[in-house]
Amino acid sequence: MRASILKQNKYLIASVQGSMSDADLVQLREELAADVRRHRSTGVIVDVTMLDVMDSFAVRTLRGIAQMVKLLGAECIVVGIQPEVAFSMVQLGLTLEGTMTALDLEDGLDALEAHAGAGTSSP
Amino acid sequence: MARDALGGSDITEQELLRRKDFLEFREDDIANLAGINDVARRYADSVIDDFYRHLLSFEETRTFFRDPQVLERVKSAQQEYFLRLTQGNYDLAYAHNRLNIGAIHERIGLPIKTYLGMYNYYLRAVASRLDEAYRDRPQGAWSAFMSLMKLTFLDMGLAIDTYLNSRERTIREQQEAIQELPTPVLPFREGMLLVPIIGLIDSQRARALTEQLLGAVRDNRAKIVVMDITGVQAVDSKVGNHLVQTVEAARLMGATVILAGVSPAIAQTMVTLGIDLGRMTTVGDLQSGIERGEELLGYTVTRTRAKSHSG
Repeated sequence: MRASILKQNKYLIASVQGSMSDADLVQLREELAADVRRHRSTGVIVDVTMLDVMDSFAVRTLRGIAQMVKLLGAECIVVGIQPEVAFSMVQLGLTLEGTMTALDLEDGLDALEAHAGAGTSSP
Repeated sequence: MARDALGGSDITEQELLRRKDFLEFREDDIANLAGINDVARRYADSVIDDFYRHLLSFEETRTFFRDPQVLERVKSAQQEYFLRLTQGNYDLAYAHNRLNIGAIHERIGLPIKTYLGMYNYYLRAVASRLDEAYRDRPQGAWSAFMSLMKLTFLDMGLAIDTYLNSRERTIREQQEAIQELPTPVLPFREGMLLVPIIGLIDSQRARALTEQLLGAVRDNRAKIVVMDITGVQAVDSKVGNHLVQTVEAARLMGATVILAGVSPAIAQTMVTLGIDLGRMTTVGDLQSGIERGEELLGYTVTRTRAKSHSG
């Protein structure tokens, strides 16, 4: 199942579905790269709320997406990691270091706004 | 017989045999003891009377026998106990009986030193009676006394076990009580949780705590969690790592955990065990934790009224 990528002003929102294969994830990475370029986006939100399992490949791909987005001059934030997923990830040593995270889409958008406003971060 | 009546003590056939073996309590001892059954019967009343006279002559022991009714009851129990020593059949039922007697004394709070003193008095009282009864053949008195001593030490071992088991049970119950202390997750400000941890953390409690904390982060949409471990005495490597993992997991959910109240002892343990606290925000006490959290969330707290005594 493919992920849907929505455009919201300067941001792209990619919703990862529960039943995504490795190939789907790789394809998501490629599509995001192209879309950031095409839409001149400044931020990408990857929403993984629907994921109940996160294996090492998925984590590696997510980190790849984040690094790639950064290289293209935008910010990437992963949102919606569920408690059980978060803990099992940490136990496997998959901590998504250097990648921004937020609780959900709303917080993710706030975080990107705050980041864009550089320094004027206040609730 | 319920195990509870024995203060959690129980004894198996093998264990009883091992104990007898160690004391070298053999068939001839049983015969020796049976041989003085008549003497015991004859002198039982006088031994018991002397025994209680002795007990009542000390303030410390007198307090246990203030009630004359109680005194009468324990006296007859004591007589039964005394006669039982020479009645043979030192089997599992005998051991249970002894454990039970020990448990009763433990429950009324009779100190072990008094308990041992009572055994000592018994041995001496019986020795002098045996001396009297076996005036013509002291060898018989001597071997009977030796056998009695072995049996008495068997009894003493069992009695002390009930004391120790009862204490151990108390310690265990208290430990369980500490471990079952609930860990509240308190919403402190919008987007900020307070988690005070008190008592012992073992792996099981740490796991429950993680679940609770991560769930609370999601439910309260928390961005900051102040975890206060002032009330935690010790952390082992497993629990320490677990705490670090919890902090990392919270970060994956977009929340920052501030660890407050790390005691010098825990700090040392963490460093010695090589637990990586590098990515963790730690502060000295709860107040600093709350202040740091408010700062990160952009809150400022202002006093609206000056102190009544300015200065």
